[in-house]
Amino acid sequence: MKTWKILLAAALSTAFAANAMAQQTTLRIFTGGQQRPDVMRKIADEYQKRNPSVKVEVEVGGATSEAQQQYLSTVLTSKDSALDVVLIDVIRPAQWAAQGWAEPLDAYLGADRQKVMGQYLKAYVDANTVGGKVISLPYFADAQFLYYRKDLLEKYKRPVPKTWDEMMETAKVIMDGEKNPSLQGFSTAGAPIEGTVCTYLVPLWGMGSEITKGGKLNLDTPQARQPFQLYGRMKQAGVLPKNIAEIPTDRIRIDMQAGNLIFGMSWGYVWNRLENDADSKVKGKIGVARLPHDQGGQSATCIGGWQVAVSAFSKNKAEAVKLVRYLSSPEVSEMQAVMASHLPVFPSVYKDPDVLKANPWFADALPVVESARARPVSHQYPQVSDAIRSNMNAYLAGTKTTDTALADMKSRLQPIFR
Amino acid sequence: MNTIPAAAADGRRPSGRDLSERALGALLLAPAALLLLVIVVYPIATLFWNSLHGVDNANPAAGEQFVGLKNYLTAFEDSRFWDSSLHTVLYILVTVPGALVVGLGLAMLANMPFRIKWPVRLGLLLPWALPLVFAGLIFRWFFEYNTGVVNDILRRFGVEPLQWLSDPNLAFAAISIAIVWKSSSFMALMLLAGLQTIPKSLYEAAEVDGATKWQQFVEITLPMLSPALFVALIFRTITAIQTFDIPYAMTGGGPGDSTETLAMYIHKTTLDFLDFGYGSALAALMFVLSMAATSGYLKYTRRSSGRSGED
Repeated sequence: MKTWKILLAAALSTAFAANAMAQQTTLRIFTGGQQRPDVMRKIADEYQKRNPSVKVEVEVGGATSEAQQQYLSTVLTSKDSALDVVLIDVIRPAQWAAQGWAEPLDAYLGADRQKVMGQYLKAYVDANTVGGKVISLPYFADAQFLYYRKDLLEKYKRPVPKTWDEMMETAKVIMDGEKNPSLQGFSTAGAPIEGTVCTYLVPLWGMGSEITKGGKLNLDTPQARQPFQLYGRMKQAGVLPKNIAEIPTDRIRIDMQAGNLIFGMSWGYVWNRLENDADSKVKGKIGVARLPHDQGGQSATCIGGWQVAVSAFSKNKAEAVKLVRYLSSPEVSEMQAVMASHLPVFPSVYKDPDVLKANPWFADALPVVESARARPVSHQYPQVSDAIRSNMNAYLAGTKTTDTALADMKSRLQPIFR
Repeated sequence: MNTIPAAAADGRRPSGRDLSERALGALLLAPAALLLLVIVVYPIATLFWNSLHGVDNANPAAGEQFVGLKNYLTAFEDSRFWDSSLHTVLYILVTVPGALVVGLGLAMLANMPFRIKWPVRLGLLLPWALPLVFAGLIFRWFFEYNTGVVNDILRRFGVEPLQWLSDPNLAFAAISIAIVWKSSSFMALMLLAGLQTIPKSLYEAAEVDGATKWQQFVEITLPMLSPALFVALIFRTITAIQTFDIPYAMTGGGPGDSTETLAMYIHKTTLDFLDFGYGSALAALMFVLSMAATSGYLKYTRRSSGRSGED
């Protein structure tokens, strides 16, 4: 009798164990090297703790948005099921929708859809909805800000600049006063990479113009020349680094962190690194403000941020959607804000005391993020980006003039925006 | 017992053996042939098929329709195709002879009667064993404006630092230096193998006849080395046509598109823009360029080896 019971118990427990094994789902997230994979790992660990039946693997890819997309294009064009959840740049959802790479989330959200989408900043609802379908959910928000050396501005009794000209003048005064040959005035992305698209767009928007108008190319305006002229003036004044055409996004952070930069136009993540990295020489010396604008214009900024999409080829879509909803929750938004100074996608999180303690400047960041503008939306966005960034890059390198850069940009964009 | 030799005498038996041998041969070759079919013939066929179709993966809804030679005609009118092809040809013209000269020097050095040979040989192998993109990254750091070692040396000599990676001519020079560094060790390895087949007695005889070192090099080394030289040149030219990794890592094609090679433009068209139809046409054109260069070399070697056969 006893033996029989023991045997039964053993059999049952084996069956349970086998069952548990069978239910263990492995989900694989793809993230970029620039989007703090270490923080993603911590978030994934938290998710595993709460969902013991799910194992989350974090795969880390290229350091730039293009490098990541090139890898993802090969994986997804071949309909590979290796990835379940993918972190995508804010510029990608239209392209992903056209390609059918993302599993639309409407059916999974069901009746919750209105409620879920209603919590986010409006810009991110728009960015993640393509043709009425929810393609992905926002993971963190982003916009470009002016990072500045608070200590140097105080030393030279200069206010935080409101216009580009003020900024140039202040930079000149500080550079002349400090007599440090490695100290540079102002830096922004100038290499032929995605970030350089915003380098062109910010001054263009600041003058109240844009690349397209009603779906048609709109570069025959006098404002279309302004970004080139602005950076040309900065170059002439010696405020831009000589090698501006080699500067990728993260280089701005590195130069600032080494104490070699007075003003930098960059994204939200920079703050956390400047304040917390062991080798940062500028802890407590940094301020964050709205980007300057031209006389008669207004401050503009590019919308950034990263979204989480479920791969259309995932074999565990239902589980992947659950993970995506967790990654796009106020709780995770708060974790990211504290650990990585990633800007929250929920207005409420900006007021969270822990978040404000780690990032005092978030108090003024919400209106900037709310006013941030989207880069041109197209399923051919990679061509659009290439046309803008390679000509901006050539101009900054001094190999093209305003006329040739603008003409080449137009001729490459014309077939896309007919 | 006697039937077997009888059959052989018949003449039927040998042909039977022939057939089975042929069958066995075919059977043994089949796996290799199948593999080649799958990994070489099928992709190339797909490439040509794609090049004749509109395969735009950025807009899969448009479907894949036959467009004839439209993609090729587009390429001929595409200034970026011509520019990137021109850059590729320039890289070939500079880096193939460059790698040949440097590689020959290294091979001669490695062939000298050192007591300890391994450090030289290892020095030859290392750049060759290094992945191309690493070589590109290393040289990018060398040529970096603020922190690169090249500009540091210039500064120490009181020279203004140069914008190696954002000036089109300097970027071309920097990339060419990196390619020559990377590829000359492969040249040297091939040439070293050639050098070692040259009998010592020839040099000894030349020495007795009073030939100078330079005469020995021109009259003995170069002619004896020419088969190895041609093989090395063919390989180097083909890889030069495909130049991708080093400029990709060093400048990403910049400033503007001034250092973009044909292979980089193909990569951008297919993997960034996802236009597989047009990208395939560009790749097919590169294939033609590659075939033309190879057959040119082969024709030349055949002629020269034919001549030496008659001697």
